Amino acid sequence: MSRQLLVPLLDQVRFKREQLKDRLPTLPGTPLLFLSPFFLLFGVFLAIPVFYTFYLSFFTFQGVSTEALFAIDIGAYQIMIPEMANLQYVGLDNYRRLLTDSVFYQSLLNTAIIFVVQVPLMVALALGLALVLNAAYTRYKGIFRSLLLLPVSANTVAYSAVFIVIAAEGGIADIALGAVGISPIDWLSDGFWARNLVAFMSVWRWTGYNMIIILAGLQTISPSLYEAAEIGGATKIQKFRHITLPQLKPIMLFVFVTTTIGVFKKFAEPMIVISSGGPINETRTIVYYIWQVAFQNLELGYGSALTVALVAIIMTLSLIQFKVS
Amino acid sequence: MTAITLDGLTKSYDATDMDDIPDNEIVAVEDVDLEIEDGEFLVFVGPSGCGKSTTLRCIAGLEDATGGEIRFGETVVNDLRPRDRDVAMVFQNYALYPHMTVRKNISFGLRLSSTLTTPEIDSRVTDVAEMMGIEDLLSKTPDELSGGQQQRVALGRSIVREPGIFLMDEPLSNLDAKLRAEMRTEIQELQNDLDVTTVYVTHDQTEAMAMGDRIAVLNDGLLQQVAPPEEIYRSPANEFVAGFIGSPSINFFDVSVDGQTLTDPSGFSYELEDHSVEDDTARLGIRPEDLTIEEGGDDMTVTVVEKMGNENFIYGTVGDTEVVARTEVTVRPEPGQRVGISFAESAMYLFESETGAAIKTKTDEIEPQAAQF
Amino acid sequence: MHEKLEKEALWQFGGYGFLVAVTMVMMFPIYWVVVASTLPQSAIFAGGAGELPRLIPGSNFLANAEALAARPEVDFYRSMLNSLVIAVVYTGLALLFCSMGGFALAKYDFKYKRTLFMGILGTLLLPTNLLVIPLFLLVSNMGLSNSYWAVILPWAAYPLGIFFMKQAMQSIPDSLLEAARMDGASEFQLYYRVVLPSMKSSLAALAVILFLFQWNLFLWPLVVLREGKYTIPVAISKIMSNDMIAYDQLMVASAMAIVPMFVVFILLQRHFVNGILGGAVKE
Repeated sequence: MSRQLLVPLLDQVRFKREQLKDRLPTLPGTPLLFLSPFFLLFGVFLAIPVFYTFYLSFFTFQGVSTEALFAIDIGAYQIMIPEMANLQYVGLDNYRRLLTDSVFYQSLLNTAIIFVVQVPLMVALALGLALVLNAAYTRYKGIFRSLLLLPVSANTVAYSAVFIVIAAEGGIADIALGAVGISPIDWLSDGFWARNLVAFMSVWRWTGYNMIIILAGLQTISPSLYEAAEIGGATKIQKFRHITLPQLKPIMLFVFVTTTIGVFKKFAEPMIVISSGGPINETRTIVYYIWQVAFQNLELGYGSALTVALVAIIMTLSLIQFKVS
Repeated sequence: MTAITLDGLTKSYDATDMDDIPDNEIVAVEDVDLEIEDGEFLVFVGPSGCGKSTTLRCIAGLEDATGGEIRFGETVVNDLRPRDRDVAMVFQNYALYPHMTVRKNISFGLRLSSTLTTPEIDSRVTDVAEMMGIEDLLSKTPDELSGGQQQRVALGRSIVREPGIFLMDEPLSNLDAKLRAEMRTEIQELQNDLDVTTVYVTHDQTEAMAMGDRIAVLNDGLLQQVAPPEEIYRSPANEFVAGFIGSPSINFFDVSVDGQTLTDPSGFSYELEDHSVEDDTARLGIRPEDLTIEEGGDDMTVTVVEKMGNENFIYGTVGDTEVVARTEVTVRPEPGQRVGISFAESAMYLFESETGAAIKTKTDEIEPQAAQF
Repeated sequence: MHEKLEKEALWQFGGYGFLVAVTMVMMFPIYWVVVASTLPQSAIFAGGAGELPRLIPGSNFLANAEALAARPEVDFYRSMLNSLVIAVVYTGLALLFCSMGGFALAKYDFKYKRTLFMGILGTLLLPTNLLVIPLFLLVSNMGLSNSYWAVILPWAAYPLGIFFMKQAMQSIPDSLLEAARMDGASEFQLYYRVVLPSMKSSLAALAVILFLFQWNLFLWPLVVLREGKYTIPVAISKIMSNDMIAYDQLMVASAMAIVPMFVVFILLQRHFVNGILGGAVKE
C-alpha cells in the first residue's frame, strides 16, 4: 500500500534530478573533479611533508609553540598560525651530528639485525607453509589458511603486549622451554634476546600474509612443468630448485621489498618491549629513535634529518633489490 | 525518424608520440559526404581500420568530429552530447550493465533521461521485451543469458527509448554463424516494422549485401561508394569495391591493351567487341559465377576442386594469377588438368591500372524469373 | 615402487605435521590472551615456587575489566569507541576518494595524467611512519591537533588505494560507459550507477585493507592525540607507562582489542585476500 504512494513520489524526485542535471554543463574537466579530493589530500598531507621534512632538517626547533606567528581575527573566529618554538637555521649541523651519532648507528644496526633474523625465518616458514597448502594431499586447506592469516589482523600494540606477557619472567615461554630442558631466557632484559623477540613477534604477525602471496604465486605455476620434470626423473628437491624457485622469483622479490620497508617502519613492537622494561639500546629501532628524538627530546630538526637519512637508505635498499632481480 | 547528413566529415587523431606517422596525425575518416534518408537502413562496410566504426561513433557523439558537419534533419549536432542527440546504439559486445537485471538494463535510459512515470516505463519495457521475445528473462542478470539473448536485450534497450536513429556497431560479430543468420533477419524485420533510420556497421560483406537498403563502402577513411546492394555489385565505382563485395571475390587480371585486344602475361587474350580502352594497361575483373570452364582448353591449370553439393568451386592458375570459378556440379576437372576459360563481355569489369576507377562494369541483363513484382 | 610410496608418505606426513605444528604455535598467543584476560595478575605468571601459570580460563574477566575502566588516564572503553568511529569514517572517506580518483585515472585521458600517476606510484614505497614530523607541524598549524580529523585526513589519500582502484576499474569495458552515456548518464551517474556497483568485491577488498590500516596505526595517533581521544593502540600503551604494569588489565584490554577484530576478519578475509593479491600480483 505504501509502495503505491511511494512510487509517484520517487518519480517526482527523479524528474527534479533530471532537470537539475540538464542544467549542469558537462565540464571537460570531469576527470579533474573526480581526482581533486584525492589530490588535495595527497598534496597537502603526503607530498608536502616529503619536501617539508627535507627542508626542516636544516633547522633546529622544538615543535609548535603557543605563540602566534600571526593571527587573523574574523569576528567570531580567530585563526592562529602558531610559531615554531625556538626556530633556528643551522645548515648542515644536523647532518654532521648524524654522522657521529652512535645511537643512530646502533639503532640502524638493531633494525638490521631484526631484519636478518626475521626475514629468513619468515620467508622460509611462509614458503614451507605455502608449499604444504598447495599440495594435493592437504585437507582442510581453507581452515588452515584462515587461521594462519589471522595474526595479520591483530592490533600491533595489543599483540605486542601479549607477547611481552608470554615472554616475561615466569611467562609461558619459559615454561615451554623448561619442558624441553632449556633454562629460561631473559627475553626482556637480555639485549640479544630482546631483539630476537621483536623479530619473532614480527614473524608471528606477517608469516600468514606472505604465505598467502606465495601461495597465489605457486598456484600460477603451470602443473605441466612439474609433470615434464617428473617424467624426466626429477626428485622433489630438484623440482623445487629448478622449477618452483625460478617461477617464484617475482613474488619473492615483492615479498622481500615489502618486508624490508616494513622492518624499517617498525615502531610498535620495540616500543612495547621497551615500555615493559626491555633493554633500550639493543631494541631501539631507527623509527623508535626518531620518535624519541623528535617527540620526547623535542628536537624536531634533528629528527627530520634522521628521517631524510632513513628515507635515503630505504630507497637505496629497494633499488638494490630491484636491480638484483 | 530522422535523416542524417554527413558533410565533409573528418576525424583525425593526434599521433605525436609515434615516430613513423607523417604530420603526426592519423586520419581515420577523411572528408565523407553522405546523405542518409529518414527510415533508411544504411550499412557501412569495409575492412578493419577503414573508418566505419569511427564514423558511426562520430554520428553517435562518442567521438568529436575534427572537421565537417553532422546534421540530423536540419540541426547541426556536432556539439551535442550523445544523450542530447536522440540516438540509441547497440554495441558489438552488447555492453549490458552486469549488475542490473534485464528489466533494469532496458529501462536504464528511460529512468535516466525521460519524464515517464515508473508505471509507464514498466509497461514500455514489458512491450519491448515481448517484441524481442525475452519477456521471461526480465528478472535475470546478463551473466545468466546466452549470447543471442544478450543481443536481444541490447536491442531492446535501444528500441525502448524510441530514438530517432539506431546505430549498430557490428552487433552480430560475437554470435555463431547460425545465430547470426537468425538475428540478421530479425533485425531487418524489426527495422521494417519500426521504420527508424538505422546505420549499421559490419566488416562482413554478406551481411551488408543482405541487410542494407544502401551500402556505403569505406577504405582507409575514404568513402568509396554509396549505392543499393545490386548496384554496388554490378557497377562498383572502383577496383576496391569490386574486390571487397562478392564471395568468393572477383578474379582480377593485369592485362595490356592493344586496341581491342586485352592480353594477360600468361598469353591468355580477349577480344573486346563493344568497348574500347584508351590506356595501354588495365585491370580486368570477372566474377567467379561468370567464368566458364571449358574442357580441352589451355588457359588455366586446375589446382583445387571444391564440390559443395549444389555447385562447384574450381580453383586454378592462369599464368601467375590465381583464379576461381563457380560452376554447375557437372563441371568436374581433375587437379593438374589444363582447361580453357571464357566469359561474356557484358559480364566483365575493366578498371584503370593506376587509379582503380571503373572503366566498364557489368552490362548484362538481369532476367527476372517471374512477372514483375 | 614400495619405496617410492613410503618416501611419498613420509613427505606428506612431515608436511602436514609441519603445517599443524606451526598453526598451533601461531594460534597459541591468541588462546593465551583470551585465557589471561580472565586471570588475576597473580595467575598470569609462574610464582616463585615454580607454580605454573594457569592455562585454563579463570573467572576474573569482569574484575579485570572493571579495574581497567577505573583508570581514567587510559580511558580504554572510550578509546574503543574512538578507534571504531575513526576507522569507519576513515574507511568510508578513503574509499570514496580512492575510487573517484581511480576512476578518473582509469577511464579518462587528460594532460599530465602520466606524471600524476608516476607521482603516486613513487609514494607507494614510502613508509608512512616517516612523515610523522612534518605532518605533526602541518596538522598543528591547521588547528586540527587532537581531533578525529587529525588521524583520518592525512591518510585518506592512500596511494595503494587509488592504485588498486585504478587497476580494478580498467577492466570495465569502455563500451559499457559509452552505452551509459548514450542512455543519458552524466559522468557522475556513470561513476555512481555503473562503475561502482560492478566493483563491489574490489571495494570490499580495499575497505578491509583500509580499515585494518587505520585500526593499527600507532605512531601517528600517539603523537597527535591527547587524553579522551586516544585510539586503542595508544590506550594500551598508556597502560604500560607505569612502573608497575597491571598485567591483568593489560591482557583484558588486549583481548578486547584483538578478539572482536578476529571474528570480523574471519568473516571478511576473503576480501582481504583479494585485495592484497590484486595489488601484489601486479608487481
